[in-house]
Amino acid sequence: MGSMPLYLQSTWACSILGQLIVLVLLFLKGNLRRVPLFTAYTTLNICQAGFILLLYVIPRISSATFLTLSWASEFVTLVAQALATTEILRITLKPYPGIWGLGWRTLASTSVLVVIVVALTSRGHTAGERLFELNRGYHLTFATAVIVCLLLVRYYSIRVPTAYKMILGGFCLNSCVEVLIYTFIQAFFRKDFDLHQVRWEFLTTLSFVVALAIWVVAVRKPFPAEDRQIAWLSDSEYQRLSPEIDEQLRRVNEKLLRLWKLEARPN
Amino acid sequence: MNIALMLLAGFAILLLILLVGVLREPERHGKPENDLAFLEESGRSHATYLRQVQQAMAAEDFDFLAARGSRELSKRTRKERRKIVLAHLYCLRNDFLKLWRLARVISTMSPKVGVGQEFARLRLGLIFFLHYELIRIKFRFGFAPLPELGSLSEVVSRLAVRLETAMRELGERAAMPAKLASTLDGRRLDSR
Repeated sequence: MGSMPLYLQSTWACSILGQLIVLVLLFLKGNLRRVPLFTAYTTLNICQAGFILLLYVIPRISSATFLTLSWASEFVTLVAQALATTEILRITLKPYPGIWGLGWRTLASTSVLVVIVVALTSRGHTAGERLFELNRGYHLTFATAVIVCLLLVRYYSIRVPTAYKMILGGFCLNSCVEVLIYTFIQAFFRKDFDLHQVRWEFLTTLSFVVALAIWVVAVRKPFPAEDRQIAWLSDSEYQRLSPEIDEQLRRVNEKLLRLWKLEARPN
Repeated sequence: MNIALMLLAGFAILLLILLVGVLREPERHGKPENDLAFLEESGRSHATYLRQVQQAMAAEDFDFLAARGSRELSKRTRKERRKIVLAHLYCLRNDFLKLWRLARVISTMSPKVGVGQEFARLRLGLIFFLHYELIRIKFRFGFAPLPELGSLSEVVSRLAVRLETAMRELGERAAMPAKLASTLDGRRLDSR
């Protein structure tokens, strides 16, 4: 702990404080029941902070063990983050089973695509670098999948309660900033990358503090009650109407295309 | 900074921009059920004004004006009438948009949607907007022929007519849950 610079210690303290506030607000406002996985994620984050603090105070722990254990704890919180996000998307799209079906397929295919791209572009030389790249790959995949899902929600004009929007926004912001920070550090300080781990830690903790501030605002009020809706159309009606509209839209497009392809002639 | 890292950083910045755009409140946001209000006015297709628009761009009118009036007058009339055609094209786009939105409302109201169908429709919409913009530019510079615009209008008009029944049906269905909810609330009140 003594080796940790003061500015990093302060950011860390802010982060723990922020997490505690989010957790207390979740309990006090009764949002715990609505978003149990998000609550679990916040709790796990606090536990992770406590765990790393414990690792710092153990006097004779080797640097390799410290890194392995801290990355293992990070893995747990990253899984919890993915689950918490899926929970919020699920709540938002629950009244629209058709769109939710489309959403999770989009989420899965986008994730697979980004994972492939990340795997192809990763070139870490040391184990430490590879771990960092893995972490960046995760954040990139996560942010892309969530943003694609939000685009889908917007395309279908589905209203997302502001509190949920803020939570998703906080997650995505943190992930995008993590990707940017690591990429810039890797690009400009490649030779002595290990020396810049403290800077990386400070900046990522700072971005997480910003996300926490957004979450504090999001959870300060009870979440809106789910306005359940029933599916109004039967599957057969969709099967009947949808192709008909598509066919007509296709015809309009063909006409437009013909209009465009015609020889230009002055009026 | 190598190309892969530049691409990664660029992609992350693009994601941040998209995030801001996606989280911003839409101008006329609302639930799909609120969107159903547009169904009421769907019968008024702008394609019905096609004959007037065709008349507005009839070559005989310009020939007559050029012969009896002045070239200047003919030119001015042509310019003004082209504006009318552009406005008509814009209205046709709105008709298309309305139908495109209807298709999305149908999807949100369905328990199961076809991934392929949805993506095909999204692609159709994107292609439409690309073509629309190109044609608009063409008209603006006075190169587009009018008869084709006529057949385009007919397609939009036919589409509106064929879907009118479906829209009415949807409107009635949208009203049903509200009626059901009010009935249930009434019963709850009665039981108190």
